[in-house]
Amino acid sequence: MTTSTTPTLTDRYIEATLRRVPSRQRPDIERELRTSIADAVDDRLEAGVTPAEAEAAVLTDLGDPARLAAGYADRPLHLIGPAFYLEYTKLLRVLLVTVVPAVAAGVGLVRVLLERDASTVVGDAVGAGFTAALHVVFWTTVLFAIVERVPSPKLPTRRWTPDALPEPVGRRTRYAELIAETVAMVVFTSFILISPVLRFQTDADGDAIGLLDPWLWDSGLIYAFLGLLVVSLGLSFAKYYVSPSIPLAIGRAAVELATGLTLIWLAVNDRILNPAFVEAAGWSAGASRWTNGIIVVICIGSLVSAVVNGLRDYRRR
Amino acid sequence: MLDDELLSTHLQELRRGTVVLACLLILRKPNYGYALLDLLERSGFAVDANTLYPLLRRLEKQGLLTSDWNTDESRPRKFYRTSDLGEELAHTLSRDWDELHAAFRTLKGEP
Repeated sequence: MTTSTTPTLTDRYIEATLRRVPSRQRPDIERELRTSIADAVDDRLEAGVTPAEAEAAVLTDLGDPARLAAGYADRPLHLIGPAFYLEYTKLLRVLLVTVVPAVAAGVGLVRVLLERDASTVVGDAVGAGFTAALHVVFWTTVLFAIVERVPSPKLPTRRWTPDALPEPVGRRTRYAELIAETVAMVVFTSFILISPVLRFQTDADGDAIGLLDPWLWDSGLIYAFLGLLVVSLGLSFAKYYVSPSIPLAIGRAAVELATGLTLIWLAVNDRILNPAFVEAAGWSAGASRWTNGIIVVICIGSLVSAVVNGLRDYRRR
Repeated sequence: MLDDELLSTHLQELRRGTVVLACLLILRKPNYGYALLDLLERSGFAVDANTLYPLLRRLEKQGLLTSDWNTDESRPRKFYRTSDLGEELAHTLSRDWDELHAAFRTLKGEP
């Protein structure tokens, strides 16, 4: 149905509609739509209007081609529909109240450690918080808009039950814990990552001596360790948001165990403090041994408490 | 006095879905899009063309309508017809409509 003459309004309308529907539907929709428009135009002509008026009136009735095409393609005319809206706002809220303050605090701390003046510290912290908020909102929205448009593989949507009602105090407390954990995690991670360049002690050339053993970076173990922390934070979020399940409990236990054992192994092998730093700081030879001992004790304590908590949760089910 | 916008919102809510049943009933006799639009309007089921055309395809995709191209006339026309499945749905929906009608009568205290 291509014509060599200038395209009519109808041609342009059909073209605009077809552009927005899947290509395999196009020929069929075009044929049908063209006939429908021609029929409608004929009807109007019989009423005694000019062809141009009739065509314009029919297309006006059909309305925006984008809307018509969305109907053909069965595409939603909203970004995030009622099916996902609640989950969307919930996740957005949590991410905003945890990630944004944590990033701002982390950046602020780094600037303090780098001994910048107060206005830089505040400015950078606010700026970083703002950027983090933009990213959180943008990516969460993109994620949900995609989920809305991808034909769902019949995800077993969680049915709401009264069990999901908020617990007046307990849940809020856990929420506060979650926020505290996130903030602590970001601050701790930032501190570890920037520790090699912090100028607490400098060598003869004036370069910074890292507090932590450089071997951790050389072996890449530090990244594995931080990875474990990130996973464990993710599991804390999961524990807060999804109903308790055995795989989740096992996952949490495994990550806690791995983190604790890694730390103990590092302490036993004296791979935590940088010997050069200890020397430069003029600490006694026992400082490393004491630090390692304290870390081992803390780790064993937290492992025991994890096991006890796990057993208690298990018995409650 | 009822506000026009309020009225049209509630009417739209109430009528949503009735067009499907009307189509399934009318299309027991095969027909094509534009003629159906006219027929629906004259039967008291006013519907916009840009709602009806995609709806017909959706019903076809769901197996409630079948279609055939008729190219005997000057313009090729896609004729839709209610399938067995569509007939079944029409039957169920009609019964539901009757039950609703009876329920409303009871509510209004009519015999």
